[in-house]
Parts: sequence; structure tokens; C-alpha cells
Amino acid sequence: MSSAAAAAARLLPFVALLLATLSACGSAIPPDRRVVEGDPLRGRQLIAGVGCGVCHQIPGVDGANGIVGPSLEGVGRRNLLAGVLPNQPDVLTQWVRDAPSLRPETGMPEMPLSEEEAEDVAAYLYTLR
Amino acid sequence: MGDPFDIVSGIQSVLSPAGPHAAWVAQLSWVMFGAGGLILLLVVVMTALAIFAPAGFRQAVGQRRTVVIGGILFPLVVLAALFLWVLNGSSALVTAGPPGLRVEVVGERWWWRVHYLDPEDRVHMVTANEIRIPTGMPVEFRLRTADVIHSFWVPSLAGKLDMIPGRINSYRFAVDKPGVYRGQCAEYCGEQHAKMAFYVVAMEPAAFEDWYGAQTLPAAEPALASEELGRDVFEANGCGACHTVRGTAADGVIGPDLTHVGSRVSLAAGILPNNRGTLAGWISSAQHIKPGNLMPSFDTLSGPELRALASYLESLK
Amino acid sequence: MTDNTTPHRIADTRADRGSARITYPNSLPRPEGELEALERVWAAPKGWRKLSVVNNNYIGVYYVGASFLFFILAGLLALIIRVQLATPDNQFIGHELYNQLFTMHGTVMMFLFAVPAVEAMAVYLLPNMLGARDLPFPRLSAYAFWAYFAGGLAFFCSIFFGLAPNGGWFMYPPLTSTEYSPGINADFWLLGIGFIEISAIAGAVEIIVGILKTRAPGMSLDKLPIYAWAMLVFAAMIVIGFPAVILATALLEVERAFDWPFFIAERGGDPLLWQHLFWFFGHPEVYIIFLPAAGMVSMIVPTMAQTPLVGYRLVVLALLATGFLSFGLWVHHMYTTGLPHLSLSFFSAASSVVAIPSGIQVFAWIATIAAGKLQLKTPALFILGFLFIFTLGGLTGVMVAMVPFDWQAHDTYFVVAHLHYVLIGGMVFPLFAALYYWIPTVSRQPLSERVGKWVFWLMFLGVNITFFTMHITGLVGMPRRVYTYPAALGWDTLNLISTIGAFMIAAGVLLFTIDLVRRFRVTDGPNAGNVWNAGTLEWLPAGDYQTRSIPEVRSREPIWDQPNLPEDVKEGRYYLPGTATGQRETLVTTPIDARPQYLLQLPGPNWGSFLAALLTAAFFMGLTIKLYVPAMIAGGLAIAAIFWWMWDTDHGGSDTEVDVGAGIKLPVNASGSVSHSWWGVVTLLLVVAMIYICLVFSYLFLWLVNGDAWLPDAARLPELWQPALSALAWIGSSIVVILAGRLLSAGGWVAPALLLLLAAPLLPLGIWLEVQGQLETGLRPTETSYGATVYMLSALQGVFVAAVMLSALFVVLRCLVGLVHNGRRASFDNLQLLWHYATAQGLVGLLVVHGFPRLVGMG
Repeated sequence: MSSAAAAAARLLPFVALLLATLSACGSAIPPDRRVVEGDPLRGRQLIAGVGCGVCHQIPGVDGANGIVGPSLEGVGRRNLLAGVLPNQPDVLTQWVRDAPSLRPETGMPEMPLSEEEAEDVAAYLYTLR
Repeated sequence: MGDPFDIVSGIQSVLSPAGPHAAWVAQLSWVMFGAGGLILLLVVVMTALAIFAPAGFRQAVGQRRTVVIGGILFPLVVLAALFLWVLNGSSALVTAGPPGLRVEVVGERWWWRVHYLDPEDRVHMVTANEIRIPTGMPVEFRLRTADVIHSFWVPSLAGKLDMIPGRINSYRFAVDKPGVYRGQCAEYCGEQHAKMAFYVVAMEPAAFEDWYGAQTLPAAEPALASEELGRDVFEANGCGACHTVRGTAADGVIGPDLTHVGSRVSLAAGILPNNRGTLAGWISSAQHIKPGNLMPSFDTLSGPELRALASYLESLK
Repeated sequence: MTDNTTPHRIADTRADRGSARITYPNSLPRPEGELEALERVWAAPKGWRKLSVVNNNYIGVYYVGASFLFFILAGLLALIIRVQLATPDNQFIGHELYNQLFTMHGTVMMFLFAVPAVEAMAVYLLPNMLGARDLPFPRLSAYAFWAYFAGGLAFFCSIFFGLAPNGGWFMYPPLTSTEYSPGINADFWLLGIGFIEISAIAGAVEIIVGILKTRAPGMSLDKLPIYAWAMLVFAAMIVIGFPAVILATALLEVERAFDWPFFIAERGGDPLLWQHLFWFFGHPEVYIIFLPAAGMVSMIVPTMAQTPLVGYRLVVLALLATGFLSFGLWVHHMYTTGLPHLSLSFFSAASSVVAIPSGIQVFAWIATIAAGKLQLKTPALFILGFLFIFTLGGLTGVMVAMVPFDWQAHDTYFVVAHLHYVLIGGMVFPLFAALYYWIPTVSRQPLSERVGKWVFWLMFLGVNITFFTMHITGLVGMPRRVYTYPAALGWDTLNLISTIGAFMIAAGVLLFTIDLVRRFRVTDGPNAGNVWNAGTLEWLPAGDYQTRSIPEVRSREPIWDQPNLPEDVKEGRYYLPGTATGQRETLVTTPIDARPQYLLQLPGPNWGSFLAALLTAAFFMGLTIKLYVPAMIAGGLAIAAIFWWMWDTDHGGSDTEVDVGAGIKLPVNASGSVSHSWWGVVTLLLVVAMIYICLVFSYLFLWLVNGDAWLPDAARLPELWQPALSALAWIGSSIVVILAGRLLSAGGWVAPALLLLLAAPLLPLGIWLEVQGQLETGLRPTETSYGATVYMLSALQGVFVAAVMLSALFVVLRCLVGLVHNGRRASFDNLQLLWHYATAQGLVGLLVVHGFPRLVGMG
């Protein structure tokens, strides 16, 4: 029984992702959270490609179940990033590329992402609500 | 060279051959699939006729003769032809003379130690989880194991060959064109058998020579302050007890040689992309990512220490 | 589709054949009370006492049921595996559970489902089909079943404690050696295998003796039902093949427990020794599973088509050829181990050739279908599904027999696909056909045709969706036995499809189970009857005593060709229409032409076999979980229980002969080489000899691997007088036993008993001398594989000698209470056989250990 429940629980993120992606096309995301230029689907590929999941749990990304950093489930509706920074598109975009510049104490290194790629990544993360 | 993690398929496929051995087997496969499909169709049609055909036809089929022709003569002819063709085709692939390069691969739970050998069989250069080879020439692989049985397999290039305690198996194959191919352990070897992969990178001979020359050099000195800090963290945490970084005091041999770890396409035996982020994640949670492997999770490093260590390792190009 | 010619032809043939006048062995009316006496003697115990039942129609049904339970359990494990693999990088279960699951799935399916299921069908079907009242050793069947069921359940439960084996079902060392598997998980595997070894060997003895000795009069070998032929080959293959795995598991357990390095390369062992031994068993194992299924198909097809099998002799030849060839194929599981190319070519050719016997059978079935008119009932559907799936599996089998292709396909999902096609096609579908087909002989009503069609289509489509896809998954690079895989390699969709297919199969099996629960009702009254109009003896009206009288067989399909046979049999017109001695009996006939030889009294229900089985399970279980004292107690009690069950099985002959009909007077029971127990012991000794031969092979193999330096030079061997003393002890003991036999013939029982007591200590003395001699040279079993092998030869001899001494104790006890005398000496004769074999085996061991190094040293 519990395994069936666990299986059902595993499906939830996919459903959530589906809904989130659909709603991203509409106006459900508040304007101040929206990443204007980013392509969330490409962002998701980039997340898989650079391996963000090595450290983070990221719904919708296969194998992303890291325990080094925080889970990114619902990151789109958080108020603060890393507990200290305002969760704004420009902040998140910079954070995913170059976290140490925003917060020197962080363990999260600079990631090999271009400015544009960082926007895509941020766009995907904002679908996680 | 593209990021191997961008390549969706074909880097580990029998059906996307990139060398003469794999090409021969792919050809053999398609011929056998075709012939097998036809024979299956024949059996299905025969059975359908045996059930539904008019009585006269069925009576003709319902004889001992059918058994002799269909069950003995037909398979005998088909099998003999196939067997001889395969024997002939396989022997055509055997190359005589010295190989272009000799590489020793040692299977360990759950990664691959790679030794480039000189003509006298001595280890000339050490790396791990990545084998770069020049295109267009046969490369000989000497296969050993340090623990249990593993099997060395790069589907796009050649069939597999086991690594067995007490034995050395060797074979050779060539690659036609530059590219990145994925290999994986094919003999169940315990907890993390699923996460024991590697990459074969085929390069033009000239490019290969450049790469090889660079790999034989000692590790690069830290250029940035953060990298220097990273080296200190590396030393302070005793990483050198298990890992070698040539040109430093680190001379451990339990884990992979890290002298040029930053130049590799993957981390943790072909399972993670290689960049500072994944380096940091692996160092911090190796036991979470690949439970049971020999590398502990260094989960007490501070953020800046972890970042410094990761950037130091990344700088070891 | 209107076609009347074929049925007419058959009907005419039958009329022709039936026109000869029949003289019945016994006349009507039968004496009053004869049937009641027969019923009373054969009646199964009621209520909770049913646990002590030994009748094959009960044990067989329990056995089939238990194996079906394990099929479902192992199938559930597979479903969990499929859920885990449905998506890449899935976190559903971790690697620890996954690795246990796939190991258990394979092990349970192969050892607790497939082999027992085909054996179970034989226990149920063979006596009925052969016209016997029961198998020749009913209590042995009961013991084998209960040991398997109790032991299998205990083994399966290890998964709930995280203690299940996790080394893969073929358990390659050194992964499974103590260094890399320190837990008791691997020991559980060895335990689980132990039970199936016991039940398989017991079954083989039972089947060989049953088929060769207890057929209905007139059922000469050329009239033997194909199924019995298949089971005969099956049993012979078990006798030859199982010893290899018995020895392999013994070596691995000894290595794990005592650090004797058979497989540890650093000390001269070789992991490939395991692979040779395992696959020398493991490849024939596939045919051990397939041949009985093929035999069932050869029974079902003629019935469903209402015409005799086309090419009977060719099919028999095909069965024999499969059995023979299957022992020349084992290396095709080892193509990638770096063996020399020449030997690979040989095994490749042999592996291709084995396709021919399968081809013969496939075309014989097709020709039979064509010759008759197939009724598309559920059994026929499963047969057709079998033809498709098995043919496809056979074709991919030829592919993987090609060495270069196998180098790619080996250990990938292609092979997973292939083996499931072969095993599901070759065994599961025929088994379902057989269940649908034969359930009317045991149940009050057949299973539902309507539900059956659903079951078939769900399973057929499910199997193809699941496993056809896996061919592709393997070719695009997915190795087997991985608990997860990355998303980027293009395997996700293929895996998802396989998972969906797996659940379709599960739905089919679930539906079948529901139908089974609704309709399957075991009956000791009238069953559903000959619903398919079949022609063989198992369709005769039957009770716990099987048929009322044992028919005289004059054709391969007696019910078709001998008019009115069912009624005549039921009325008691044929042989042995009652009980002649007031006990359970069956006719023993000659092995080739089935002429009546003697009347065999069979033992009835007894708690000994049931208790012995549970105690055996407890013994092995105790050893595995390291509770040694309780284990020893259970072991001792198990032996006592075995004595109890054996106690009244040697009835002795009687002076008067009994009339079984047609004026044939038969002696009751027999001794010497015509007796069924002599045949049983000889079969058992063949198994023991094969185990020993496998160990001698291991010795020679390790020598080949290590070179001449592996052997000590003559100076480091014990001096020759030491083995000479051992030989003297063993030969001396055999002479004493021969003397005891002479005295027994002369009419005494005291002197024979005393002589046995005198001879018994000589057997262990010989072993002690040999071990002492080796120890004095400084040889230790833990230091080199040479030492391990040399001491293992003595250890194996020791185990056998212990068994001989227990048997001697049994015979001496019987002497003391007057149960052994010249007229009742089967137990003594069998002991003699065991004894002389022990001497011979010991001498062979001495020749190897002391002769071979000297021979090589001279060369």
C-alpha cells in the first residue's frame, strides 16, 4: 500500500509541472516574478545539462534529487532566495550564474551559464510554484 | 567537442556504429533481424494455413514430410549459411601487427582506472573514467579488475569483454571518426553497477597527440587566489590519501588520479557533467549520489571552502 | 470452414482398429466389496490429517499450487522492478532493494517456479497417464514437496527483512564471496537452491523409475505418451545437470564458511570455475524447463486437433537430441569471458544446431494442426501464443549464438528479452495451456472459456509489448541489472512501454487467478470428465486409486483406438481391479515392452515425510541464520523422521503369487535388480557420481588454469603407503559387507548385523587416514586452491560416507527387530549398493589425488 502511495506521490511533481507550464503561458505568474526573456523548457534542459540536480531537488528534472543545497520545489513562490535575497527575476538570474557575487558565504559556485541561459533557467524555476 | 550530455542518443548504441567492429555487428544484426522476421512470418503463415486453409492443402501439410523439410532441412541450410558467413566476416576483422596504442583499463567498484602503456608494457600515463584514442588505427585494450568481475563495453565501437580476477583479457578495435562515445559496465558488479560508466573520446591523431602530451604533464599551478585556497582545502582534508595530483604531495592510489580532472567530460564514472557546481555537489554528497562507493561525503566543509576546492579541481585541466 | 473429411477419416480408422475382438483380463461381474476395498485402501486422510497425504493426485495438486504461488510472488517482484525502471533516475526504490528484487525474481522464477512447476505437473499427471496407481515412491514425493514449499517460503521471506540475496540469480563470485558479500544474503540464496536441489533430485528419481517401471501392460516405449518421453529426458538431464550446481553451491558455501579458496584468484582459485559449473547446469536448466512444456504441448495439440501427433518418432528423437546437445552449449553464456576463439566457434556451432530439434517439434505441431481440425478453445490459443513467442525467442537464440553479435547483446536488455521470450514462450504459455487443458481431470468444472480468452489476449499482448521492446532497449545500449539509468540515452520511452506491458501480463494472471478461485474445485467424486475428447489414459474415469482397473494398452491413444475403454476400465474388466493384498499396490512392468513383472506394494500416508521435510527446512534455515544448535537438533530429528517414513516401505516378498487378471500370476514385491528401489538407488548414485565427477573436473580445471606448478612434486605428496592404507580400509569394509550379504542369504540376521557394525568404522577410518596424510605434508585447505580441492574430495567422500553409515544404522535397527531376513532384504541390498559405491568413489579420489600429480611429474 505504501509503495502505491509513494508511486502516486511521485506522479504529483509531473502533474504540478504540467499545470505550471500551462499556466506560464497565461498570466497566472505575477508580473514581478516573470522572467521576460527566458524559455522554461530550454531552461529545464540546461538544468539537466549542467547538473543542478547534483545539489538540489528540482521537480520535473529527472535525477535531480541532490541534498547539498535546498530543494527548489516551490521556489517560484518563495519570498527570499538563499534566505537573504529578494526573490526577483534579476536576482534569481544572477544567482543561478554567479551566486558567490551575491552572497560570498554560499557553497554554490559560479555555474557555466551565459546570461541568456541563466534567464532560461530562472524561467523554469519560476514555473515551480 | 560538444557536451556529451546534449547528445540524446546514439552515443551508446549498437545500432549507431562508429568503427569497423561495431559496423560489422550492426550489419550482421540487420541481416539477422530481416531473416528472423521472415522466418517468423513463415511460421505464422504456416500455422494460420494449418488452421484455416482448405482441407486439401491442410492434408498436404499434415505429413511427416513437413517436419523433415521445415524442421530439419530448412534450419540446417539457414544455420550453416549464417554460421559460415559470421565466421568469415569475423575473421576479416582481425588485424595483425602492433596496435596504434595500448591502453590498460582496470575495473574498480565502481569506476575505471585507465593506464596508457608504453611499448614495454609500463604505465606511462594515468587517468580515469575517460579514454581518449586517435581515430583510424587499432587500439589495444588490456582489461583487468581490481575486485569483482566487470565487463568493458562501448556499444558504438565494439562488443564487450569481461574483466576477471586473475586474468588479463585483451582485444583491439578502431574508431572511424572523432566523437564522444559512452561505455558502461555490463557485468553486474554490486550496489552501484548502474553508475559505472565512462566515455571514449576519439580524436584526430594530431589532436590526440596534443592532448596526450598535456596529460603527461604535472598538474597546473593555481592561478587564482580561490584556486590556491582550494588546494589548501584539498591538502587539509587529506584528499591526497586517496587521490594523486601529480606535481603535488597528493599521491594516493585508492581513487581516481585527479591530475587533469578538470579536462574530463564527466565526473563520478560517467554519471555527472563536469563543472565546478557538480564537483562541489559530488564532494559534498558522494554517498548520496552513489551510495556505497569509497568516497566519503565531505559534508562539513564551509561554503567558501567547498567552492574553492571545486574551482581548484576544475582548474586542473 | 466446413470440413468434414478429417473427422470421418479418424472415425473410420478407429472403427478399423477396434474391430479386432477384445478378450478382457477380468470378467464381470466383479465380486462384491472389491471396489470398496480399493477405495478404502487408497482413501486420502481427511481434515488436518491431510497434511500426511502421499497420493500423487493430492501432492501433485498441492505442488502445482505452490509453484503457481511462487510464480505470482516473483511476478509481483517484477512489477516493482518495472515501476522503478518506468522513468529515468527514478527514486521509487533504492539500489539495495532493487538488487535484491532482480536477484529474487530470477531465482524464484527459475528455481521455485519453473522447475518445481514442471515437476509438479509430472507428479500429478504421470501415474494417470501411464496407468499406474501412484508414483513408485509416494512418500519421497510428499517429502520433496513439503521441503520445497516450507523452504521456499522461508527463503522468499528473506526479502521482507532486507536479507535476500543480491548477487544476481547466477551469483558470480567473487562478488558473492565473503569479501564482497559479507552478509548472510548470499547464504540465503544457497539455502533456497538447496531445497530445489533436493526436490529436483527426488523428482528425477521418481520420474525415471515411474516411467520405466510402472507403465500399464502393453505400453511399450513406442507407445509411450510424448509427455512421458519428455519427462524421461527431463529427469535424465536433472541427473546429469543438477550435480554441477549442487557442487558449485557446495564449493561456494564452503569458501564462504571456511575460507577455502576455490574461486579466489589470489590463492589459485578461479571465478570462471563457478561459471563453468553453473552454466553446465544452467544451460540445460533452460531445456529442463522447456522439454516438459514441449511434452505437454505434444499432448495438447493432438487432442485439440483430434488427430494423432504427426512425426511421433521424430519428436522423440528431437527430445533426446535436445537433451544431449544442451550439455554442449554452456559456454555460450561465457562468450565475453575471453575464451579462445576456436572453442567459441565450437560452442557457437553447437548452440545453432540445438535450434533443429526445436524446429522439428514446431513443424510437427504445425503438421498435426493441419492434419486435424484445430478447435480454437483456450488451451489451443495458449498453444498458438506459445508457437509465436517461442519461435521468436528461438530466433533471437540463434542470434545470440553468433559470437560477434553476442559480444554486443550479452548482458543487455536484448538478452533479457530473449530469455523471457524463451521461458515465457517455452514454459509459461504451455503451462497455462496445460492448466486449462488438464484442470477438468481434477476439478468438478473446467475453467471459463470466455474468461480464458481474455486471459490469453492480455498475457499474449502484454508479453510482446513488454519484451519485444526490450530487444530494442538492449540494442540501444541498456545493460541489464541496472537499478536506474540516465535520461539522456533515449531509453525512457522504451522502458515505459515495457512497464505498461508488464501490467497487462499481471492483469491477465490476475484474471486467471480469479477464475481459478471461482471455478476450480478439487473433487474426489466425479470430475469434469474428458471434455476435449482426448485419447490418453489420464482421461479415464479415476478416483484416489486412479483407474479402477489398469488397462491393457494397444495404441498411443488408447481411448481413441480401443472402443469402450473408459467403461471397461471403470467396470473392472482390466488388470488389478481391486487390491490383491489389502494394501496399496501398482503393477511393475518391464522397462522396454511393459510386460507385467511383479506387484509393488506402495506405502500409504505417513507423518514421517511431512515432518522430515519441515525439519530439513528448519535445519538449513538454522545453518543459514547461524543458529547451529537448533539446526543440529532439527537435523537429527529429520533423520529420525526419515527413518520413520522408510520403516514400513520394505515389505518383503511373499510366497504366494497373486492373480491380476488374464491368468497372469505375479509375485508380490521383488528384490535385486528388478526391484523399483534398486532402480531408485542406482539413479541416486548416478547423481552422487556426477557430483564427484564435477569435483574431479574442478581439480583438473584449476590445474589447467594454474599450470603444473599448482601440483606438488612427488616429494611433497604423502607417501604411497598412506593412500594404500585408506584403500585397504575401504576395500576391507566392502568385503565384510559382501560377507554379511552371504550370511543373510544363508538365513541368519545376527551375524550380518554384527558384520555391518564391524565394517562401518572402516569407512571414516579411510578418510581419516587420507586427511592425516595430507595434513602431515603441511597442506592446508585455506592456503591454496590445490589444498582446498584435495580436502574437498575427502569432505565430499565424508558426506557420502556419513549417509552410508546412517543407512547402515537403519538396516541394523531393522535387523534387531527382525525386519531384515533373506525374504525381506531390499533395504540391505540397497545399503550394499551404496557401500560399494562409496568404496569405488574413495578409490577414484585416491587415484586422482595421489596418482595425477605423480603422472604429471613424470611427464
